Order: sequence, then structure tokens, then C-alpha cells
Amino acid sequence: MLKNLANTARFCWALLRTSLKAVTALRGSFLLSMTFMALNNATFFVFWWVLLGRVGTLRGWYMADVQLLFGISAAGFGLMQATLGGAVHLSTLIDEGGLDPLLCQPKPTLLYALGCRSQASAFGDLFSGVGFMLLSGYLSWHSAARALLCVLVSFLAYTAICISFFSLAFGAKKTHSLSRQLLDILITFSLYPEPLFGGPLRLVLFTLLPAGFVSYLPARVVKSASTSDLLCLMAGTAFYLWLAVRIFQAGLRRYASGSRFGVFG
Amino acid sequence: MSTYRKYWAFARVAASEAANQRAELYGRALFFAVILGVFAALWRAVAEAGMPLRAEQEKLVWYLAATEWILLSTPQRHMQIQDEVRRGDVAYQLPRPVSYPRAALAQCLGALLVRAPLLGVVAFVSAFAFTGRMPALQSLLWLVPFGMLASAILAELYVALGLLSFWLTDATPLYWVTGKLLFILGGLMLPLELYPRWLQRVALCTPFPSLLAGPGGFLINGAEQAAPLLALRLLFWACFSFGLVELLFWRATRSLQVSGG
Repeated sequence: MLKNLANTARFCWALLRTSLKAVTALRGSFLLSMTFMALNNATFFVFWWVLLGRVGTLRGWYMADVQLLFGISAAGFGLMQATLGGAVHLSTLIDEGGLDPLLCQPKPTLLYALGCRSQASAFGDLFSGVGFMLLSGYLSWHSAARALLCVLVSFLAYTAICISFFSLAFGAKKTHSLSRQLLDILITFSLYPEPLFGGPLRLVLFTLLPAGFVSYLPARVVKSASTSDLLCLMAGTAFYLWLAVRIFQAGLRRYASGSRFGVFG
Repeated sequence: MSTYRKYWAFARVAASEAANQRAELYGRALFFAVILGVFAALWRAVAEAGMPLRAEQEKLVWYLAATEWILLSTPQRHMQIQDEVRRGDVAYQLPRPVSYPRAALAQCLGALLVRAPLLGVVAFVSAFAFTGRMPALQSLLWLVPFGMLASAILAELYVALGLLSFWLTDATPLYWVTGKLLFILGGLMLPLELYPRWLQRVALCTPFPSLLAGPGGFLINGAEQAAPLLALRLLFWACFSFGLVELLFWRATRSLQVSGG
């Protein structure tokens, strides 16, 4: 059991190193994508800068709170795309029969599919996310470990959500755009202050579109250091991960080969 | 006449393709409704905190419905052009008896004709559901042709972005920048009057406010007075974007021939 785990960890490390090498091979393009994505995120913040500059606070949320929320969401998403970037390409792999070469590999198919890609722009998300968290003023030496844990949990929650959304392709054809739009909706919700949404919508944000687990709860944990919130966050994320793996495995049973000829490795 | 027929055929094929991509169409519609819902909630919270604008919160939701309608209806062909350039597919399109960039524009217009009505209905229904009010019918009627023209100009700007991949290989970062310029300088979510004066002046030197804030502003300030000037601006930017695309393509094909394809 332990040997198996160690083997899988070694495999993950090798996969990560390979995809990082691939994404940084064209250094100029990598730096350009990363810088522009960071600028892109900074530009988005002009909206909050203008709005909160006029009204000061929105239902108790100040600029620092929005920066922290945005930072956690961007860092979690960036980390996911940088290390497990294949998650947002699952539907394309499924549609085009791209899982065929992975199925005959001795390692877990899902892990392979997730880890075989990395996005250059994701590093821009990651760094700008960390930058926004630092700017918020909520980070100190005492809270740094908690913040790191929250970013990691956000990363896992994003991974689980992407696996679930992009596995829709097992059930229907050409669902990539739909899955992408669902992910965009989730990201949109995760970037706006939680108190804006009340009633049944808040329930949706902690269940069907779990923006609560990618940004609201992690931000709350960083700010208040509440143990109950942290436990709730970790339990919820673990549940979504378990569900995502189950959905993928159930879909894999329905998967039909693309009979595609190609070279893999 | 036969020239127009060729491009009309491109537009028709693109329209039927857009109509067949139902998942994408419904995804966009859902995203649109969600964005309007988020902003209806946001403007309610802003109203509680003391609205920094003369406009009422309901009008701001309708403003966003108009700007997002223009943006989401716009076909973004830059990625397809980029892929065609990267794969070299563009080379076998050059000898065809049609202009590549004009065919791309025709395809965008075809897709726009399918998307805009559906998203228009979604915008109208969602904005009405979230606000319980409707702007003046006259303003809405003015918005339709101006919004469609703005969308067509924006689509042509995306074609220009795609053509830049002849030199840049990957024009995606430029696409992000354009998106954010639309967001800020175009007044996608906030009317320009909320921005500092210097930023408003900068915005007026770009096409973006004419494409989004201009038509969207019809639903806040009325259309009669602003329409003639906006029509002139849109006409100018239409000529500019069309000329830019033709110029870029001419330069690109020259360098292709020089390097041997």
C-alpha cells in the first residue's frame, strides 16, 4: 500500500516536471503569457478600485476583503491550471478519443489526463493571486501557513469541479463550451463578495456551483482562523473530490474508443 | 452581384453552424443571465451603501444587459484564424476567388445574426426579471441597430487580432488585453462617468466606448440626442477596423510570399 503510494507520488512528480518543462520550453512565449495574465487580473481590479473608491464598503466588505477573495480564487485556479492543466481539456480528450493511449498505461488514467498539461498563463494567475493576497494585508507570519493551506484547498476544489464539469463529455457530445461556460460562471461567482448573494442562491453556491469552497470559505478561514470553518472547508472539498473521481470513473465505463492513431509519450 | 453572393454563402454557412452549436449558445445564454443576476445583486448592495451615480440601480442593470448583449453576441474568430495560420491551412485558402478577411467578416456576421436575437431575448427577460422594470421602448428600439453594428465592428477587430498571429504566433495575450480594455475603457460594467476624468479622456480616443458604453448609454440617458454622434463614431470605427484588417492581411500575404509560404 505504502509502496504503491510512493510510486504514484513519484509518477506525479515526474509528470509535473515534464509538463513544466514543456510549458517553459518557449521561454519568451511563457513569460509573455504569464505577464499578460497577471496584467489581465490587475485590470479586472480597476472595477473594484473605482466602485469601492466611491462607496467605501459593500455590506461590510472593504477593498482588502475583495483583494483576499480574488487572491485566493486566482491562486487556487492558477495552481490547478499550472499543475493539473489537463482538467480543463478532459472533454476534448474524451470527444476525440484521446483517452485511448492513457488507458493502456500502468498508472491511473485520471491522474495522467490531469497532469499531462500545464498552462503558461496559469503562472500569471498564481503570482497575481499571491500578490493580491499580500496586498490585502491579511497575511502575516502567523497566518501564512493558514493562507497556504486555504490556497491548496481552493486548488483541490477547483480540480474536483473541473473534473466533474468536463466529464459531461462522457454523456453527450461537444460539451466543451458548455463545461467552459459552467466553469466561467463558477469563477464569476467566486470573485464577488459572498454577502451579495442570499437565499436559495447561496445554497446553490455551496452545492451545485460550489464557489463557496473555492473562495468564500477559504477567505473566511484566512480572516477569522475559525476551526469549524476550516473543518467544513476540508470536509466539503474532500466530498467534491470523491464525487469528481466517481463521476469520472462512471463516465470511463461508458467511454468509447476514438480508434485514433497517434504517438504518445 | 456575384461577389456579394459569395460572401452571403459564407454568412449562411456560419449562421447554420452557429445555430447547430446549441450547447455553446445555451451556455452563453446561461452565463449572461448569471452575470445579470450577480450585477443586479451588486447594484442593490451599492444602492444600500449610497449610489454614487445619478442613475437608478434598475437602469444600471439594463445598461449592463445592453453592453453584455453586444459583447456576448460578437463572434470571436481570432482563435480560428490563429489556428489556421499556425497549421498553415491559410496557405490553401489564398488561391480561392474570395478575400480571406472578408470571408471571415461574412462568417462573423452570419453567426452574429443567429446569436444576437437569442441573447437579446435572454437579456430582455433576465433584466426585466431582476429589475421588474422596463426602459423606454424607443431607447430599446434604437439600441438594436446600434448594438448590432457595434458587435460587427468588434468582430472585425477580433479578425484583426487573429491576423496578428502571422507575426506573433500566439495572439492570445493581445486578446486578453483587448478584453480588459473593453471592460475598462468600454465601460462594460460601469458607466464611464464613474471613472476618473483622465481615464474618460483616454477612453474617448479608443473605439471601445463607442462599441459598448455608447449603445448601452441609450438605456440610461435616452437615445435621441446621443444617436447621431454615436452613428458617426461607429461609422468611423467601422471604416478604421475594415481598413486595418485589409492592411494587416495585405502585409501578411506579402511576407508569406517573400518567405515562400
